[in-house]
Amino acid sequence: MVLELCNVSVSYGKNLCVRDVSHRFSDGRFTALVGPNGCGKSTLLRALMGLLPMQQGEARLDQRPVSTIGRRSLARRVAYLPQDNHCPDYMTLGELIELSSFSRSRLMRGPSASDRQIFRDALETVGLLDMAHRPLNTLSGGQRQRAWIAMVLAQDADLILMDEPVNHLDIAYQYSVLNLVARLTRQKGKTVICVLHDLNLTASFADEVVLMRDGGIEAAGPVRETITVGNVTKTFGMEAEIFDRNGRLVCLPYPTELTA
Amino acid sequence: MNYGEGVLRRQRLGLMLGAGGLLLALGLNLSLGARWIAPDTLVGALYEFDPDQLDHFLLWFQRIPRALIAIYTGAMMACAGVVLQSLMRNPLTSPATLGVNAGATLLVVLGAALWPQLLSPENLVAQGITALAGGVFGAVLALTVARLAGMAQDPRGFSLILAGALVAMLLSGVTQAILLSDPQRRSDLLGWASGNINHVYADRLAAFWWIGVICCGVLLLLSRSLNLILLGADKASSTGVNVPLVSRVAMLVSVFAAASAVAVCGPVGFIGLVVPHIARPLLGAAVGPLLLGSTLIGAGLCLMADLTARMAFQPYTLHTGVVMDLLGGLFFVAIIRQHYLSGRAGRLT
Repeated sequence: MVLELCNVSVSYGKNLCVRDVSHRFSDGRFTALVGPNGCGKSTLLRALMGLLPMQQGEARLDQRPVSTIGRRSLARRVAYLPQDNHCPDYMTLGELIELSSFSRSRLMRGPSASDRQIFRDALETVGLLDMAHRPLNTLSGGQRQRAWIAMVLAQDADLILMDEPVNHLDIAYQYSVLNLVARLTRQKGKTVICVLHDLNLTASFADEVVLMRDGGIEAAGPVRETITVGNVTKTFGMEAEIFDRNGRLVCLPYPTELTA
Repeated sequence: MNYGEGVLRRQRLGLMLGAGGLLLALGLNLSLGARWIAPDTLVGALYEFDPDQLDHFLLWFQRIPRALIAIYTGAMMACAGVVLQSLMRNPLTSPATLGVNAGATLLVVLGAALWPQLLSPENLVAQGITALAGGVFGAVLALTVARLAGMAQDPRGFSLILAGALVAMLLSGVTQAILLSDPQRRSDLLGWASGNINHVYADRLAAFWWIGVICCGVLLLLSRSLNLILLGADKASSTGVNVPLVSRVAMLVSVFAAASAVAVCGPVGFIGLVVPHIARPLLGAAVGPLLLGSTLIGAGLCLMADLTARMAFQPYTLHTGVVMDLLGGLFFVAIIRQHYLSGRAGRLT
């Protein structure tokens, strides 16, 4: 599934948060959106999902403008994980996963046999199959984050947008969750666009990276070519050293005084 | 695949418990009173009405209409409470805290001040329609105030709760002012100041029950979308729910359901606030089963409150609304404690 942005501008109230962004996200790859706080990453994802109106330009999914795709059929093609998710009291993990099939479901009908298989696979992928009967509020932070990811997987869409999926997770979970996300692209051919903050995590798992700053794209391309000293300095306004250690790209920023 | 069965079993058990409780409350409500009616007489009267027996007469013309009104009121308020709490994702939302009750009271009192005939017994249905309009007016006013206060930036509905409280206080103030200006007729209007379940209102029930049935049907159809809205507007929208449309329809329909109950017997508060909290631990979070269960529990609770109102100070009868307010006040403290003051509080804000 190919997602293209053509001259997209999005404003939040009076502030223009995304300015004239054009980019073509590679099909079947894991692309990380990286940039300083408030640079428009989350706004861009929300606008892509039609949750915020675009001021100008359009997003195209396989050549078709996203704004002409109905909500339900968009949900069958694109799944989205917001940054903050709310766990309703007393809702179990199983119930949460079942909700993901809303766009495929028919009125007054339960999930089909194939849906049930999808739910099961999603829970198995995140390693929570034996927890399905548990209320969400009794899960640990890491389990809960994996529960949300399972819900996104169970939506069975080809394009997955995630807003900081490793927030609030310890490093072990950060690595295991992103490993899982990367596997989705490599084994199941999903296209993943994911807002991340950590350049080292990005370098370890993403195929491509889009560096954003002040609502625009600073640099974009394959990870090794894009995460360079020059680009990091331009994007974050800080010095960094970037080197190769055992085949892995490491970005070591130097502490600077906060300006402005 | 066994991930859903535990939930289903719990839902079935919860619904059975609710139905059992409702039947028990109905039996008690019909049997107990100034005059004890034995269960066998009760069954006999239901089976075949004998106009020569006082008990049969009492049942068919007083207790059964009264019980039906209690059931309708409890069920509608509870339904509306479940939906409003799910929509706002806030445990303090209910028809009463949204200004429905205060709006209905004000319009009836105002109507009676302008047109004294409104309160005469032959105008029962006109009273009901005025109350229905008032209930919707109260909720719309609360929503407008909340919107002016920036509800859009406030996903947990706190501005709506505050706006509802503000509107309710303002409208009750105006109501009190009208009542004070006309001391002679104050006692006539007291039934509208606090909800009063009485068999003479059966005509209004006969006029309005269909509103409730339609509202419940629509809400059940929307229940799956409402489940997703529980997860937040962004999540629901990206899963395929038309959030603005579903929210508006569900809000309007639940306000109508609650207002139709107020139109039958005046403002009975707190059922809408309390019942969802009783039902959720029994039935879980899914809105569909929760609606059915809350209907049963709300009806049962209202029957018990009505019984208490009749029995507590015999031979005097309290207004059911007063009993509800007393019970509800205590429960309100418990809800605040559980959601805002306990260790779980951090998850809400």
